Amino acid sequence: MPGPSLIGDYLAVLSADLPERIVSELADGLEETYRHYLGQGLAQDAAARAAIAEFGEPRVIVTAFTDASGGRNIARRLLVLGPGVGMCWAIVLIIARAWDWPIPVAARVLFGAMLITVIGLLAIAAVGRHYRSVCRAAAAGCLGTAILDATMVGTVLVTAPAHVWAAGLAAALSAYRSSLALRNVRRALTG
Amino acid sequence: MRAEELKGHLDALLLATLEDGPRHGYAVMEALRRSTDGRLDLPTGTIYPALHRLEHAGLIAGSWSVVAGRRRRLYRLTAAGAGALAGKRADWRDFAAMMTAALERGPCPDPA
Repeated sequence: MPGPSLIGDYLAVLSADLPERIVSELADGLEETYRHYLGQGLAQDAAARAAIAEFGEPRVIVTAFTDASGGRNIARRLLVLGPGVGMCWAIVLIIARAWDWPIPVAARVLFGAMLITVIGLLAIAAVGRHYRSVCRAAAAGCLGTAILDATMVGTVLVTAPAHVWAAGLAAALSAYRSSLALRNVRRALTG
Repeated sequence: MRAEELKGHLDALLLATLEDGPRHGYAVMEALRRSTDGRLDLPTGTIYPALHRLEHAGLIAGSWSVVAGRRRRLYRLTAAGAGALAGKRADWRDFAAMMTAALERGPCPDPA
């Protein structure tokens, strides 16, 4: 974008945290603001400083974009849904005496580790301060959520088909949640 | 008026600026300034995330165009956005009427 290096430096700071399409939109607005001040008779550097001051601190803008991102939104929704779905599955596992199922310890540990990882990813996306890491964590958390839900439904069907009746509500909630998660992977990645 | 005082009302203000037709981010900010007689004290840069949030919510729709060699994102009000704006207007009228009735009443007469 034409104009003094001050504006270029300001946009470079934003580019470090925000994707190109957002910086491009901000650059257009900043250029308009800069031209507005030039039109009022300010010199180039003064106009650039005034435009930058009017736009605000880069940290404030990045934080606002991070809070408004699709990744943060879906991560918070999945975290709110989590306890309810988890409680339903816990009831199913108790009714079906899951501790007696012929599932290797390694598989149980792997599932537990994945569950903790997914919760961690969604928590990072829900409260993280860095735009890109929020988007990536949210996308990975969405995929992980869908895999966990599919694993639970598949495990009950294969291992304890006699208790499928008890898993109806939990499976329905899991289907809703994984569908929501999968539909939002792209939106989480693009912010 | 500062950003923290606007909490909860910024969405309605942004939707209202798009009621007359599509605008880009800077034009939205200019329209806000005009409609508030310059009393709005918001960093222009924070208008853009708010527009993105409204777009995610389906209340406005954004599209890219090229103007004078520069990429520019234009936003327009969606049908859902028009409905939300009507609801926010009605809520605001109720709220304003209640506050006006409560605050502009004369001093309470002495019960004695």
